[in-house]
Amino acid sequence: MSTPAVTEPAVAGPPVTGRAVAGRRLTSFMPVIALVVLLAALTVADPGFLTLNSLTAAARTSAPLVVLAAGATLVVLCGGIDLSIAALCSLATVFFALWLPDLGGLTTVAVVAATAAIGAAQGVAHVLLRIPSFIVTLGGLSIFSAIALVISDAGPIRVVDRDVTHWLTLYVGGVVPMAFVVALLVVVVVSLVLRSTPLESWIRATGYSESAARLAGAPVDVVKVAAFTVSGACAGLAAIMLVSRNFSGSPTMADNLLLPAVAAIVVGGTAITGGHGSLWRSLAGALVVTLLRVGLPIVGVPSAYEQILYGAIIVAAVALTLDRSKVQIIK
Amino acid sequence: MTTNLTRPPGQRVPATAPALEVRGLVKHYPGVKALDGVDLVVRRNEVLGLAGENGAGKSTLLKALVGLVRPDAGEIWVRGEKVRLGSIADAADHGIGMVFQEQSLVPNLTAAENIVLGSEGPGVRHGIYRWNTMRRLAQEQLDKIGSHIDPLARTDSLSFADRQMVEIAKVLRIEERTSHPPVIILDEPTSVLESKEIETLFTQVRRLREFASVVFVSHRLDEVLDVCDRVAVLRGGRSVGEVPAADAAPAELHRMMIGSTGSDDHYHGAAAERPDEPRPRLVVRGLSGRTFRDVDLDVHAGEIVGIVGVHGSGREDVCRALFGAEPTTAGEVVLDGARLDLSGTRAACAAGIGYVPAERKTEGMVGPMSVADNMTLTKQGSRCTGPVVRPRKQAKLVDRWIERLSIRTPDRGTAIQRLSGGNQQKVVLARWLVAGDVRLLLLDHPTRGLDVGARSEVYRLLRELAGQGVAMVLLADSLEEAIGMSDRIVVMSDGRATTEVAAPADGKPTPLDLVKEMV
Repeated sequence: MSTPAVTEPAVAGPPVTGRAVAGRRLTSFMPVIALVVLLAALTVADPGFLTLNSLTAAARTSAPLVVLAAGATLVVLCGGIDLSIAALCSLATVFFALWLPDLGGLTTVAVVAATAAIGAAQGVAHVLLRIPSFIVTLGGLSIFSAIALVISDAGPIRVVDRDVTHWLTLYVGGVVPMAFVVALLVVVVVSLVLRSTPLESWIRATGYSESAARLAGAPVDVVKVAAFTVSGACAGLAAIMLVSRNFSGSPTMADNLLLPAVAAIVVGGTAITGGHGSLWRSLAGALVVTLLRVGLPIVGVPSAYEQILYGAIIVAAVALTLDRSKVQIIK
Repeated sequence: MTTNLTRPPGQRVPATAPALEVRGLVKHYPGVKALDGVDLVVRRNEVLGLAGENGAGKSTLLKALVGLVRPDAGEIWVRGEKVRLGSIADAADHGIGMVFQEQSLVPNLTAAENIVLGSEGPGVRHGIYRWNTMRRLAQEQLDKIGSHIDPLARTDSLSFADRQMVEIAKVLRIEERTSHPPVIILDEPTSVLESKEIETLFTQVRRLREFASVVFVSHRLDEVLDVCDRVAVLRGGRSVGEVPAADAAPAELHRMMIGSTGSDDHYHGAAAERPDEPRPRLVVRGLSGRTFRDVDLDVHAGEIVGIVGVHGSGREDVCRALFGAEPTTAGEVVLDGARLDLSGTRAACAAGIGYVPAERKTEGMVGPMSVADNMTLTKQGSRCTGPVVRPRKQAKLVDRWIERLSIRTPDRGTAIQRLSGGNQQKVVLARWLVAGDVRLLLLDHPTRGLDVGARSEVYRLLRELAGQGVAMVLLADSLEEAIGMSDRIVVMSDGRATTEVAAPADGKPTPLDLVKEMV
């Protein structure tokens, strides 16, 4: 899963040849190739796997993960990391369950707005107080988990009124789960906004070289806060997807999604050091992770081993994609 | 432990063999010949000064002497014996040690720990620190140089001058590795010291001469002449001569450093003709910050003002402060009659100020991004309609500038890091030009690391811009460049703008005129 722009040495090389371009194109499709290979392997292991039903189920399962990973990808592209997404998502499911009786149809908007604000607050803390994003969001992770436990009395809260989330459980054309369509829309819309505005330039410059970006007059601080805000909003949206499936809010509901989300980002080939990557890559990464998750029982591995798998994936993917010429001292 | 100790008795080196000798040392870097056949002799018990402009090859030579750089050709002889130095430890085994320009002490350890770090010897037994032994070892070292620093003081609580003493004490540990008098290299040891501390250092250097040889490197020629016995001069990676310090004047030394002057014609191109304006474009009054105080500066439209000064004069920080990238504590900056907001780089960009940083690779450009995106990174408006990027608009604009500045790149989508240094710098410059609204350019060593051809192209471009009325502040790579390119030169020393020298095309000052003001 080598990523060309990252692994190329920073020297004046020979002019790009057609072959080099082709090679680069190929490697940027690596996550997609991994996806296809995985799908094929699972089909071989269990010929009954490649059916419409199981694919639909997998797509439905992947939706919250895709949304979480997409949001956090923005923060990673800026050169930071957001470890609070899963805890914030859990907190948001509790918010939803608690607010639904009062707010009714507005709950969805309120929850996403609230998590966006919380994300923005983390971004502001990171930028203004000059604390590493790793520490700010690790603190956030702990704080959000605790708040969720306190306001939920440490237990799940049933959601009785299912009308508000009903739309997410529908199927488009009878086969494609609505939640997955929404996740796709998030990726498409955010990617399009980045591509068609100066934001992408600013984000990449910030991630590759913050000091160069600053000296070029890029609004580095604003861009970073915006990335954390979108990451927070995505956590809120993922929470609503989870509630629509589980009919309850729970203070630990999304906690086991942190590692898969980080794994999705790095498997997609987004550089953990920032700058290089995209939301599309994270979408592919999230699908790979979901297939692995679904596939483990098929090949006879107990699901208790899942966490080992995520840990190994993250380390291996970063080992493959990390640009060690950029990071001189690995801490 | 060393070749010296294993030599059979009786085979004595003649007492006349120099402590250290370098013969025909050559070192290439891609595109640059850093050392081009350097010869150097360091005698026993002498202080040898090493002088040369930036890029003369001083640092590379010193690094080769302590094993940090492996020369491509040439020989290094220690006390009449040819040696191969592969690492700092190798050099130490031969009695060569260096006090680095950027201090190399670990700030959160005690002075004693720093002194024995890497050569703990009996200070560590069975992997366990023996504090009393360490303290004694450190004290011995400090006694050698007669310093009264507390060995158990944390290093970051010491003054710069004291830390330097600790460094010297640390370097003298190499005496434990060899039975011969050591060679101590001091690289720019005075650049961070106050004048009183410098006196202490010089006393120390003279004391070192009693039992060691010293190589002393400094930008300040008066210092070199003051403390050294002999001065060797490097220029363009070659040794160009040496003089006894006793009867040399800074002027003579400087002539040797810069060589023959004035062959580069684009330097002396006529300054831009401009109508006398009532008001300068840039007016700086009483600007103060961390490393500079009460700086006044005027720059007219179409004028190139050079700022010269030795390392530590604060000129780089003044440049950054004008761009809002370095905090200021007092002062006022007015651009075309409007007071400038110095709180951040965005305000400066919006006001039409451009900045070309000295560190092109890490600060000037975003390496993996394309030529096009680097060029339009600042003036996003030039490729957008409203908030929306128009790829065709960008392509047209970028292609036009690639052609205008004859930037050699396969295409506009190529990552800028694949271009040569000169072409990268042209893209960085183009960044400020694409919108056509630049009023003031701050150029921090714009030709650093460029070859001669690329330099001339940058000079030509700067001249052209001046002709179009862009005001420029130039921190040049060499005095020659500052004199050739500037219409007026401001001399900075110890954070203050001390003198101003006119440099019209028909009446350029000589480097010596400036050196007199700088030191």
